[in-house]
Parts: sequence; C-alpha cells; structure tokens
Amino acid sequence: MPIMRSFLSGIQALFHKEQRSHDMDEELQAFQEASMQEKIRQGMSDRQARRAARVEMGSTEAVKHKVRASGWESTAESIWQDIRFSLRTMAKSPGFTAVAILSLALGIGGNTAIFTLIHQVLLRDLPVQDPQQLVTFGNSEGGGVLGGVDLGSYSMFPWYFARQLQANPGPFQGIASYFSFSPKVSVRLSSAGKATANNTAIFVPANLVSGNYFSIIGAQPLLGRAITPADDATPGSGAVVVLSYHFWQQTLSADPAVIGKTITINHTPFAVIGVMPEAFHGIKLDLEPTELWTPITMQTVIQQGPSLLTPQNGAYFLHLFARLRPEAATNKTALAQSQAWLDQQIRTGIRANEGTPISPARQQEINRATVPLVSAANGVSSIRSQYGDSLRILMAVVGLVLLIACANLANFLLARAASRQREIATRLALGSSRARIIRQCLIETLLLALSGGLLGLGIAFATTRALIVFFSQGNPYIAMSSTPDLTVLLFTLTVSLATGLLFGLAPALTAARTGSATTLSSNARTAQSSGGRTSRFWPKTLVTAQVTLSLLLLVGAGLFLRTLRNLQNQDYGFERNHLLLASFNAQLAGYKPSQTPALYQTLLEHISALPGVHSAALSATPPISNSAWNSTIELSGYTPAPKENMSSILNRVSGQYFETANIPIIAGRSITPADSASSLKVAVINQAIANHFFPKGDALGRALTINIDDVKGPWRIVGIARDTKARGLRDAEPTRMTYIPLAQIDLFVPASTTSSATSSAKSGSNPTAAPPVENQDRFAGTILVRTTGDPAKTIADLRAAVAATDPNLALFNIATIHDQVATFMTRDELISSLTAIFSLLALILASIGLYGVMSYNVVRRTNEIGIRIALGSQLGSVLWMILKESLFLLVIGIAIGIPATLAAGRVIQSQLFGLKATDPQTIVTAILTISAVTLIAAWLPAHRATKVNPVVALRYE
Amino acid sequence: MTGKSSDLIQGTLDMLILKTLALEPMHGYGVALRIEQISNGVFRVNPGSLFPALSRLERASRIKAEWRATENNRRAKYYLLTEQGRKALKEETLQWSRQLAAITSILEA
Repeated sequence: MPIMRSFLSGIQALFHKEQRSHDMDEELQAFQEASMQEKIRQGMSDRQARRAARVEMGSTEAVKHKVRASGWESTAESIWQDIRFSLRTMAKSPGFTAVAILSLALGIGGNTAIFTLIHQVLLRDLPVQDPQQLVTFGNSEGGGVLGGVDLGSYSMFPWYFARQLQANPGPFQGIASYFSFSPKVSVRLSSAGKATANNTAIFVPANLVSGNYFSIIGAQPLLGRAITPADDATPGSGAVVVLSYHFWQQTLSADPAVIGKTITINHTPFAVIGVMPEAFHGIKLDLEPTELWTPITMQTVIQQGPSLLTPQNGAYFLHLFARLRPEAATNKTALAQSQAWLDQQIRTGIRANEGTPISPARQQEINRATVPLVSAANGVSSIRSQYGDSLRILMAVVGLVLLIACANLANFLLARAASRQREIATRLALGSSRARIIRQCLIETLLLALSGGLLGLGIAFATTRALIVFFSQGNPYIAMSSTPDLTVLLFTLTVSLATGLLFGLAPALTAARTGSATTLSSNARTAQSSGGRTSRFWPKTLVTAQVTLSLLLLVGAGLFLRTLRNLQNQDYGFERNHLLLASFNAQLAGYKPSQTPALYQTLLEHISALPGVHSAALSATPPISNSAWNSTIELSGYTPAPKENMSSILNRVSGQYFETANIPIIAGRSITPADSASSLKVAVINQAIANHFFPKGDALGRALTINIDDVKGPWRIVGIARDTKARGLRDAEPTRMTYIPLAQIDLFVPASTTSSATSSAKSGSNPTAAPPVENQDRFAGTILVRTTGDPAKTIADLRAAVAATDPNLALFNIATIHDQVATFMTRDELISSLTAIFSLLALILASIGLYGVMSYNVVRRTNEIGIRIALGSQLGSVLWMILKESLFLLVIGIAIGIPATLAAGRVIQSQLFGLKATDPQTIVTAILTISAVTLIAAWLPAHRATKVNPVVALRYE
Repeated sequence: MTGKSSDLIQGTLDMLILKTLALEPMHGYGVALRIEQISNGVFRVNPGSLFPALSRLERASRIKAEWRATENNRRAKYYLLTEQGRKALKEETLQWSRQLAAITSILEA
C-alpha cells in the first residue's frame, strides 16, 4: 500500500509540477514570515528580523530542490532528462547514430536469428511431461529395415525384442518403440466425411508406434484418446489413427467432430481416435513432421511391405526409448544401473540369436556389446545432427561480428568522450556528480544498443524466415517458426543490454575520469594530443582486436567457401547437368507387382517420346540419395574373412539406366533392355567392389548372391561401372554398388526359407505362407530423364506424360540432378555463405573503425604535425609516421590472429572437405585481404595529414 | 549556540516531528520553533532539513497536510498526525528508549 501511494503521489508530483512549486513557494514564504514575526517578538528590529529570517532560510530554490529530491520521481525525472539529452546528442550527429544503430542491428539481428534456430533445433524440450526422464536406446538417428546385424547396432531392434522389453521394463518406468522412419502414406478422406466428396489422395508421413508410446512419452491428446496397448495387441488388427494438429487443421479443416470418423490410409479404412496438440510431433523430429500415428500392428498397411512382426528373429526396424524412474533421471548411480540392465538384456538377446556353440572370441565381443542411453529431452532430431555443429559455428561467427561492432562503437565513443572533455569538465565544475555523468554516458549507449536491438529483431525475423526456407528444402511444411518467442525476446534484450554495457562502460569511465582543472585551461588540446600513451591505449587495443577477429572470420569464410567448391568440383561419376529425377510410387496408386512390367514399359515409352528427352530409365533410388537399399553379398571365388564387411548398396534399374545416368562402364557390358525375365540373371558391380574383392581384374563372369531372399540370385557379373558418389559427397572411401535389372526380379517371394541362416539378412516373409506372395522389390521408386537441354524445362512434359499413363500415378520430389546434389551441400552452402556474408560485414566494420580512429588521431595531432612540417619534416616522413602506427597495429593483430585461427581451425576441421583447417593458401589470402583493407583505411587519413598547412595548424587553437 | 541541527542523530528528526505534531496540528515554522524551544535551543531545524522530512513523512502517510488560516489570518500549510503516524511514533519512541538505555548502560559500564 505505501509503495502504491508513493507511486501515485510521485506521478501526481510529476504532472502537477507547477502547482507543487507554487505551494512550496507559498509555504516557504509563510515560514519566513512566521520566523520574522517571532524574531520581532523577541525584540529585533523589522530590518534585522527580515535579514535574519532570510539568512536562516537560505536559498528557497535549494530547499525546494531538496524536497523534490526526497521522492523517487526526481530520479525518474533526471533519467528522463538524460534520455532527452542523449536523444538530442544522437540527433546532432545523425551519421554516427545511423552507423552505430545499423551495425548493432546487424550484429544483434544475426545473433538473434541464429539463436532462434539454435533454440528450436538444439535447446527446446519436447512438449511432454518431464522430458528429462526420456532416454533413447542408442542415438536413434538412422532409419530403415535392417537384417544381419546385432541387437541394437544402428539403434535398431526387432519387434519381438521390443515387445519383450515393453512387457518387462526392468528398472525403467516403461519402454516404448516406434518405426525407425515415417513412410509416406496415401490418405483419402472417406466420402462420408465431407459433403464435397474429396477423392484426391494426399501423401503424408505416418509413423507406427507401440501401444504404450503415448503414455511413456507423456503426451496427452488434444481431442479423443491416444493409442493404447489394446490397439497394438495382435498383428493386422488395430486400424486406428491419431492425427497431428497440423493434419487436422489443414486436411480436415479442424473438424471438431472428427473423432470416430474414418479415413482411408493406403486403401485401408482407419478410425480416427485422437488429435495431438499443436507442438507435439512425436519423439523423432524429422524435417517433415509426422502427421499420423498408428499401432505397429498395422505395419503391413502403412509400410506396404511384407510383415516384419515375427515372433522370433525378424528384421531390425524399430527404435526404442524409455522413461527413467525419477531417481535415475537425477542420480548417476541409478542411471548406471538402468544402463547395466539394458546391456544385460542386449547381451542375452544376442546370445539367444546366435547358433550354438559360440566361439570364445564372439563370446567376448558379445560381452562388450552395449547400447548407450541417450537423453531425449529435446527429442531425436535429424536436423539437429545435420545442422547442430553448423549452427554452433555460426553462433560463434555472429558473436565475433557483434564483438567487432562493439569494439567499433567503443572506439567512436572514446573518441567522442575525448572531444567532449571540455563539456564534461564544465559540468563537473558546475557541480554535477561523476556518477551522474557516468549515468548519462551509459544511458546514451544503452539507447543506442536498445534501438539497435529493436531493429535487430526485425532483421532477425527476416533472416530466420529465409534460413527456415533454406532448411525446409522445398518441403511445404516444417516444424520451425521464425516468430520470436519469449526466450528469444529475452535473449535479444540481454544481448542488447550486455552490448550497451560492453561498448559504453570504457568511454563512460574515461569521461568521468576527466580532471576539471587541466582540461579547462586554454592549451587543453595540446595537453590532450601529447597526453599520449595511456589515452591512446584503448583505441589501439580495440583496433588490434578487430584485426584479429576479422582475420579469424576471413579464414573461416575462406575455408568454408573452398570446402563448398571442393564438394562441387569433385568427380561424381554420373551425369550432372542434363538429368531430371522424380519419385513415384506405383504401389500407392494400387498396382500389384505383377502389373509393373507393363506399366513401366508404357511409362518409359511415353517419357522417351517427349521432345528434348535423350533417354529415360527407372531405378529404386536416384544415382545419389540419402536413402539406400543395401545388403551383404556373397561372391563366388572369394572367401570372406570372419566378420568382414561384405555389404554393398544395391540398386535395381531398367535397361537404359547407365546410358541415362551417364555412368561409364569400365569393363564388360551394361544392363540393357535385352536382360529380361527369361534371360540369364546378370549384375553390374562398380570399381570399388571389383578392385576390393578381385584385385587381379577377374571379376567378370563371377556369380554374385545377395543376402535378401527376394533378390537372392545368383547373378552373373557382366560389367563393371565407374564409382559414383552414391551416398554423399564427403565419403572418403568409394561406395560399393551392385546393380541388378528390374526386369529380372522374380515375381514371387521364395515360398519358404529355413531360419537356419543366422548371420545373414533375414527375410521378413512368413516362413509357412501357403499362397505365393508377390515380390515388393519389383517396384521402382525413381524416374530418371536425360534431356538434351535444361532439364527443368521438361518438368511439365514429364508430369503430362505420367498423367497420360495413369492419372492416379502421383509424382513427388521432382528435382534436377543439380538440385538433388545441392541437398547434400545445404549445410556447406548455409555455413559458407553465412560466414562469407558475416566476415564481409566484419571487414567493413573493422575498416570503418580503423579509419575513424586514424582520422581522429590525425585531427588531434594537427597541431603537432603542423609544427613538424614547419620545422622541415618531409611529407614522406609525416605519411610514414601516421602509417607506421596502423601497420604496427596490423602486425600485432595478425600475430595474435594466426595462432587464434589455428586453434579455431581444429574445431571446424570436421566440417571441411578436401583441405586442412591450416590451409596456407586460405590463411595467406585472408592476411593479404585484411592488410589491404587496413592500409587503405589508414592511408586516407595519413594522406590528409601531409596536406596540413603549418600556418593554419599553428593558429588552430 | 553549540548544538546544531546537523548534530541530530540520523533518523531522529522524523520522530521529533511526529512527536511535535502529536500535540496539535502545526505549520512548518511552528514545528521548527517547537523543537527548538523544547530542546532549549539545542536542536535547530533549518528549512533545508525540515521540508524534505515533512515531504517524506507525507509520502509515507504518517502525516497529512491541509491549508488553514493562521492565528494572524494568513494562509499556511498545517500538518496533522495520521493514525499510521501515531503508531509509527509509538514504535519509534519505544525503540529509541531501548537503544538509549542500551547506550547509556554501555557508557556507564
């Protein structure tokens, strides 16, 4: 209450200042009058009494000031005065103010933008209950269906094992599982759903989750209910689906009565049981967020493949995560116990899968098997693993830029404080306190910093939007937002204030240290210019720091730009200019494996007939791709060492694949349209396989067997193709590739395979299935079109040709090979272009700073220079005198910068390609650049110094 | 003329003003005069200390002010003790006498 009253009366005092002053006058007048009367009463004469009373009172203004100063509002008022004064000072030098605010805005904006992304990608907790209790088993980053691996390698687990742990979670609160990737499914809204029967299918990512997934992750649905263990009880049952908020909004127009309705996923009806809240995207945060969740028991429908849900053995396709007991989340010993329990389960599981007897060496290997518990408080994110390091580096880069901007402003303000010494000395002489002067200086810098911060928020918003577009790589919807939230706003405010203090404190202290006596004397300017070393220490240090930081940034930018160029200029092994790629899925359009040969033939005929098309082909995956089909292989005439890596990437291709992708055949022949279902099964391998397994060059004619039952072979090797960058651009070792003809893949999955094959890839097929199962591996996923001109111009024609073949056949991800390759360099492009932009900015800021400091020095020393010239100094030596100073700073800056660069280089080495962080060429270029800029910035004022007219200079004061 | 108002122990001025006003409402000079008279001229309160103190006490709602006519028909600002002020005076007096007793016993020890 008293605080409130004090506040109110303070406000009143502020607004009725006139009235208050008047009242005070009257009261003091009355006081004086009364005092006089009293003195007369005591026997003084009128005049004496009046004089005595006046003396007693002293200055009425002083009394009034004291009364006013007793309330808080006077402090507020004087701060307000300082603010207005600062605004006037800023308005008086609009050039300086504009440069200051702009450079701060760029610095703070850059920091805010990168922080917004870091916050979203690296720091934000999952929107679930107690996220810090969540752990994944292994890093859970990859995805796919594996065979022939140990439990938990690549953090992949088979279904039976997941079930086992779900039923007996040991020291955990619970263990849940989910499909390691989210395949795209075709969704049709049931005609009952809407009045306008919307029959076009849409394709969204769907994830399979265990019945306890939602309860373990700790997320409540917004509407309806989540999936429960009852839904996930028996394979083939449980056709229920939980929707994401985004899907519910976009596709179902946020229909409040959606629960209980039916939607069709991959031609199977599913009952909608729940809608998740907006922020929830599951534990795995993919670039394209999961839109639907269904029970794992619906795997065959969602994945459109053979059942992977086998009671023993089976393929490895699930990721596991668990919720720790509260004590294990905080206590290391309890966590270690949970880890030990898990490793025990893993080892027991591996032993059970092993044929007996187990060799002692293998036994030891099993005893070392471990699956680390990884904290999943922020979820599992491919964006994080892909961009995390880049974002950290960029955060350091923008931090350096902000430091340079700070150094610049500190320098300007120091110079200004020096030129304002007279003003400050006058104020001190008139009775202003030093605290008040420091406060005023700080208010000025904080005003600059906060205006810069405000403008920076705008810049950050625009930058973040652009960066998110970059991240999304053409995906229409990703779970990132450029709107700053409270954390980001707080961050910006903190950075602005810290910046203000950083560049404002030194000038403010210097200003307050001004001695009033010397400064006001007439020869102050001379005293200043000769007051030498200490007064010029700070500006010099700051310029040196700027040179060092700029050098650091320039080297960084150079390294990243050259990395990008190295990535772009390497030998890819395939056509990189005239190739158009498109994904399609005939399975989702309702085709059976038996119908594929006819479809593919028509499709290729239609596409090949298009104008400007050189040739067309189909394959499982593009020549360069993130996802791959791989397996271990066996080669006749080669006996692998125990545990030797026999894996190879596989691709199934149509007749003109090598011609279309322009992959040269080194030896033998390529796969041609003549390799049909009725002819001998053939395969083409690449140099990597041929050179590794048959170094004598006798690979042709050998038989190759693939450890996947559907495409087992044997295949006769008829050709050797050139190595290609099939899996990425940074691989040091060439990727092993095996190509087989799409047309020669058997129509039916082999009826039964004994489960005695232990360490080989396991087929997912049911061993005792009576009717023959059609082979899903007959489907191709990619159309390749080689054009004579710009491939982008063929996109419309390609769509038309596919639609003419079958209007239900949807094309997604149409991309030129150029774009496809670019997706492997987004990280490098992002980091190199941003570092380049920021280092350019830093260079400009640093040169402005150097120029400013040197100009100021020359102006300050005009007098001295005039005397030197008058005494017969040569112009050359004057020029050298000024230049010498900057060169000295440059040399020191570089001398500090080189070791700093080498140290920083070690941190970014992993991000580089084709060069070392100590690359001399880059470092020399950077040094030359910074030297050139420094020399230009220093030469201009030095040149001006030689133009000093000694007569004018000596009369200057 | 030896004891000056500057010798007033920090914080006691407020208490003295409250005590003065507890007897009857008074204007500023009246307060100063009364303190001086009662202390036999030991404490002289000058306007530079008196008015800020009055303003502070008014802010804290321990006293309130109103314009009244003086005995010789001039307008003056009279200060009145509020209920809160009365309580504060009681407390401060109590505390003061406790401190005084303590100090005295130390000095006489």
